[in-house]
Amino acid sequence: MARTEPNTMRSALVLKKVPRQSPVLDAPGAASITGKLNDFAWICALYELGQTAAAGVDPLKVQQDILKHIVSGLDAESGSIALIVEGTDDLLEIVAGTDLPPGTVGSRLPRGVGVFGHVVATGQPLLINGDAAETRLPVQINERRDRATHSAMCWPLRVQERTIGALAVNRAAGLPKYSVEDLDRGQVLTSLLALVMANHRMHVERENRILELSTLNDAMQRMNALLEDAQNQLIQSEKLASIGQIAAGVAHEINNPVGFVLSNLGALESYVGSLFALAEAADAAGARSTGEPSPEGVSPGQALRDGTDIEFLRTDIAALLAESRDGLGRVKAIVQDLKNFSRGGADESWELVDLHAALESTLNIVRNEIKYKARIETRYGALPEVECLPSRLNQVFLNLLVNAGQAIEANGRLLIETGVEGTEAWIAVEDTGCGIPKEHLNRIFEPFFTTKPVGQGTGLGLSLSYSIVRKHGGRIDVDTEVGRGTRFTVRLPLRQPRAAVPATSV
Amino acid sequence: MADLLIVDDEPNVLNALRRMCMNRTATPAIPDPHVATFAAPLEALAYMRTNRVDLVISDYRMPEMDGASFLTKAKMLQPDAARMILSAFSDMEGIVRAINDAGIFRFVAKPWGDTELRASIVQVLEHRDMMLENRRLADEVRQQQDIISRQQLELVRLEAESPGITRVRWTPDGGVLIEE
Ligand SMILES: Nc1ncnc2c1ncn2[C@@H]1O[C@H](COP(=O)(O)OP(=O)(O)O)[C@@H](O)[C@H]1O
Ligand SMILES: [Mg+2]
Repeated sequence: MARTEPNTMRSALVLKKVPRQSPVLDAPGAASITGKLNDFAWICALYELGQTAAAGVDPLKVQQDILKHIVSGLDAESGSIALIVEGTDDLLEIVAGTDLPPGTVGSRLPRGVGVFGHVVATGQPLLINGDAAETRLPVQINERRDRATHSAMCWPLRVQERTIGALAVNRAAGLPKYSVEDLDRGQVLTSLLALVMANHRMHVERENRILELSTLNDAMQRMNALLEDAQNQLIQSEKLASIGQIAAGVAHEINNPVGFVLSNLGALESYVGSLFALAEAADAAGARSTGEPSPEGVSPGQALRDGTDIEFLRTDIAALLAESRDGLGRVKAIVQDLKNFSRGGADESWELVDLHAALESTLNIVRNEIKYKARIETRYGALPEVECLPSRLNQVFLNLLVNAGQAIEANGRLLIETGVEGTEAWIAVEDTGCGIPKEHLNRIFEPFFTTKPVGQGTGLGLSLSYSIVRKHGGRIDVDTEVGRGTRFTVRLPLRQPRAAVPATSV
Repeated sequence: MADLLIVDDEPNVLNALRRMCMNRTATPAIPDPHVATFAAPLEALAYMRTNRVDLVISDYRMPEMDGASFLTKAKMLQPDAARMILSAFSDMEGIVRAINDAGIFRFVAKPWGDTELRASIVQVLEHRDMMLENRRLADEVRQQQDIISRQQLELVRLEAESPGITRVRWTPDGGVLIEE
C-alpha cells in the first residue's frame, strides 16, 4: 500500500531537499490537510493559543496545546516540538509531544542528532516517507517499532533568520503519506508557529525578568528594612551611651531639687507644729483672759507669740513654698526633656518644630554637665518652624553639645547660634575647646572613630548625626583650629520636599 | 555652740540645709547651731580665714572648684574643722580624692534625708569633739612629761657640777648628812 515515489529506494526514504515548486502529489488525504490549513478559523485559533502565553499560563501547557492544534490541523497522528535550549547554540529540548513515550518531553538531544538535529542544523524542512528506522539518520523521531512511522514531516522554526527549534508530525501506516506539497504548505504554517513560539518565549522571558526583578526588589526591601532596623538600634544605643555621658548632670539636676524639696517639707512640718502650738496657747489664753486679766496686762498668748518668731515663719514659709515649687518644676522639666530626647523610634513622623525650644530642651539635660567648665551662651536668630524629625534632631544637638563640653577642659565658652539663610535654617555649636587636628578631621564622621577613653566616647555620635542630618536633606560643616576651638554648623532645609506636613504639628 | 559652714552652688539647697540645721524640735537636733552658707567656694574660704568653723559641709560639683579641692583648701586653713561632702553625684575618682586629700569624715548622697543628715552632723561633731579632747589630753600628758624630764635634766647637770650633790641627804633639821 506504500506509494513509491519515483526517486526513492525500496525503503521509500525521502531525504531530499524539497524544491519550492515541487509537484503536487495527489495523495489521498492530502486535500484535507490543505483544507484545514486554509481554514482561517484554525489559524486564528493557533494565534490565540500563542497569545495565551502572555497571560502567564504554564508555557509547557501552551506548547502542548499548540502542538495538538497543529497535529489535528495536519491530520497527523502524533507530533513533537523541540526548541533550542536558551543560552546554547544547538542543544535541543523536546518541549511538547503527543503520543510519545513517557519521559520524552523534557529530554534533550545532543547536537546534530536525529531528524530534529538535522533539520535544525541545515535549516531545511524534511519529508520522510517509508520506514524511518531505516533512515540513515542516527536517531529517529518516532521509534515505536509497533507502529512504525509511515510518513513524517519536520520543519525548522525560524524567527528572523534564527532557528529556534523544530516541529515534526508523523503519520503511522494506514494513513496516506505526506507529500512535498504538504511540506511546502506546512512551511508557511511553521513560520507562523515560530512567531507564536518566539512571542511566547519573549513573554515568558519578560515575565521571568519581572518576577526576578520583583524578587530582587523584595529582597532589597527586606535588606533595607534590616538596615533601617540596625540603624535604629544603633541610634537607640547611641542615645543610651550619650545619656551615660550626661548621667552626672542629669542626676545632679534631679537629686538636688528632690533633696531640698524633701528637706523643706521636714522644715514645714516643724513650722506648722509650732503654729498649731501657738494657736492652741492663744485659744487657752483667750479663754482665761476674758475671766481674769493678768496683773501685768500681758497675756500668756502674747508671751508665746514673742517666743515664736511669727514674722520669721511668715516670710520663711512663703520662701520655702516658692523654692519647693521651683524645685519640683525643675524635676518635671528635666524628666520631660529626657522624655523628649528618648521618645520617637523608627515611626517618628515629620513635624513643624520650633528649633529653639528643641535646643533649650536638649540644653537642659546637658547644661549641668557643661556649666562647671564653660559659660553657655545662646544667640538665637529669627527661625521659622522647621520641618523635621524632632527627637532625631535633638540627638544631633545633644551629640554636638556633649562633644563641645568634652572638648573644653575648664573655663571655656560654649556658644549656640541660629539663623536663616534663604530656604535653610542653620544651627551652630561653637566651643573654645581643644580643636580637631588635621589628621583627624576627615575621620570624625566615621563610625567608631573616637579619641576618647572607653565610657566617654563611642565614636558614633557624629556619624549618626551626619546620617540624621542627611535624612533631613541637610549637611554639617566643621570649622576648627587646634587649641582655639571648634564650630559645627548644621544646615537644614526649612521644608521637606516630599511629604505634606501632617496637621498634628499645628 | 556648733559653727557650721555650708557650701553649695544652689541657693535653694543652702536654704533648705539651713532650715534643717536650725530645726530644734527635731531629733536629733544640732546643739546650738550657728550656720553660715555660701554659694561660692572662694567666698567660703575667705570667711574661714577669719572665722572659726567646727564643721564644713560642701557640695561636690561647683563652678569654681569641686568639693574635694575646696575641702582640701579648707583643711589647710582650719585643720580641726570636720569635713563632709553632700553631693548629687560624684565619680569614683572624686570620692577617692575627697577621702585621701581632703580627709572627709562623711560622704552623704543627695537627695538626703533630714533625719539621717542631722544624725550624721551630730555624730561628726561629737567625733570631732572627742578627737580634740583626746588631743588636749595627750598634749597635757606630754607637757607633764616635759616638766618631769626637765627636772631630770637639771639633776644631771647639778650632779656634774658638784658630784654627789644629788645624793645629799638632808637631816630633818636642815643639816646635811655626808656619807663617806
Ligand atoms: N567639638 C569638638 N572638639 C574637638 N574634637 C571633637 C569635637 N567633636 C568631635 N570631636 C572629635 O571627633 C571624634 C568623634 O566624635 P563622635 O562621633 O561624637 O564620637 P565620640 O564623641 O563618642 O568620640 C571625637 O572622639 C573627637 O576626637
Ligand atoms: Mg560624641
